[in-house]
Amino acid sequence: MSMIEIKGLQKSFGDLHVLKGIDLTIELGQVVVIIGPSGSGKSTLLRCINFLEFPNEGEIRVNGELIDPKTSNLDKVRQHMGMVFQQFQLFPHKNVLHNITIAPVNVKGMPNKKAVAIARDLLQKVGLPEKEKAWPSQLSGGQKQRVAIARALAMDPDIMLFDEVTSALDPELVNEVLQVMQDLAAGGMTMVVVTHEMGFAKEMADQVVMMDDGLIVEQGTPEQLFENPQEERTQAFLSQVL
Amino acid sequence: MAFISFVQEYFWGFLLATRLTLLLTAVSLALAVVIGLVFAFLKISKNPIANLVAAGYIGITRGMPLIVQLMFLYFGISKLVVLSSFWAGTLALAFHAGGYVAEILRGAIQNIDKGQTEAARSLGMSRRKTMALIVLPQAFRRAVPPLGNQFIIGLKDSTLVAFLGVPELFSKSMTAAAANYRPFETYLMSGTYYLVLVIIFTWLVSKLEKRLSPDRQEATS
Repeated sequence: MSMIEIKGLQKSFGDLHVLKGIDLTIELGQVVVIIGPSGSGKSTLLRCINFLEFPNEGEIRVNGELIDPKTSNLDKVRQHMGMVFQQFQLFPHKNVLHNITIAPVNVKGMPNKKAVAIARDLLQKVGLPEKEKAWPSQLSGGQKQRVAIARALAMDPDIMLFDEVTSALDPELVNEVLQVMQDLAAGGMTMVVVTHEMGFAKEMADQVVMMDDGLIVEQGTPEQLFENPQEERTQAFLSQVL
Repeated sequence: MAFISFVQEYFWGFLLATRLTLLLTAVSLALAVVIGLVFAFLKISKNPIANLVAAGYIGITRGMPLIVQLMFLYFGISKLVVLSSFWAGTLALAFHAGGYVAEILRGAIQNIDKGQTEAARSLGMSRRKTMALIVLPQAFRRAVPPLGNQFIIGLKDSTLVAFLGVPELFSKSMTAAAANYRPFETYLMSGTYYLVLVIIFTWLVSKLEKRLSPDRQEATS
């Protein structure tokens, strides 16, 4: 059974038709990388998957269950999907450890002790065990983003959504975040990654999806897409970024 | 020399009246924060009737002189229920300050980055928990300086309840000045009391501001 199944997804913001009919299936354990020019709808698609944006048309199934934003319990749906944002969005009034424990404790009702143990374990995994008492404002961009990943993982999600998570970082900080993502992928996490990092797409993706103007132009394995793109728009885009 | 003995004569009496001023101010401002929070939420709400109610309340409290509101509420309310002048004054001050506090809190809440809400919701937090755990704590932190300002104004506004017969500091000074024919010294003295209160209060607010923002003191980046 597919983990996420999207059919005929459309989304508009007022007169702006951002997604014009997306069909996409994400299998368990897959890393799907979405590429494409700015404004092509990549982020909107990602935000529709966890219903931060409500689609205007189309269906989204999660683990086979059709989600209706009006009647489904979206809080429950989102608990199983971690999301990492371009601008980190750590909670500035909480220290690093508290940023990670706040959701397990307050959403899942996990005992604080257990949440702290999990948080410390995750900080170890993202390489920041010494930062648990630090405030977000004391961290570099790369460190913030790694904490944000740990925060999402603390809910033990089935799938992780990454929305251009390295775009706001200084170039020398990009790799530390990509490394954490690679470890996650290697560990079997299902991931949907919107990115401009073609190296990551080539190396880690099971499936690369090229979007332009609200539609999926082409999709396939990294080899197919990067070495033998069929569509003109893919070729044009790749020639600009590679 | 004469002034020193004048100060000695009124020092304790004024201090006692100051206690009432402080009590009046503290209770009315605590109520104003509760009222302000309720109306801030009504104004943010997507319900047009709630918006209208909030806009009406804020418009009235900000659009009429405080002394008029005081008199109106004092004489208006005492037609319905028997209230001591202390409570009538306190409630009227709270009603008035509540409108300003509502606007301060509304602004603070709406100024929190929408991404913060999205991050909390993406973790599975409900709307309510997101507000209580993520948005409000940050909004309060930002609202402290303007709220402190509003509280200073509230302290000074409390002088007006003298006209309802509450024997607070200003009322005491009016009585004293009428009796001793030395208004200059009398008001100089009570004015100094208010000034000292405001200085202490300003200091407390800046302390609170630092305490609520532990992250900003040690920030290195």
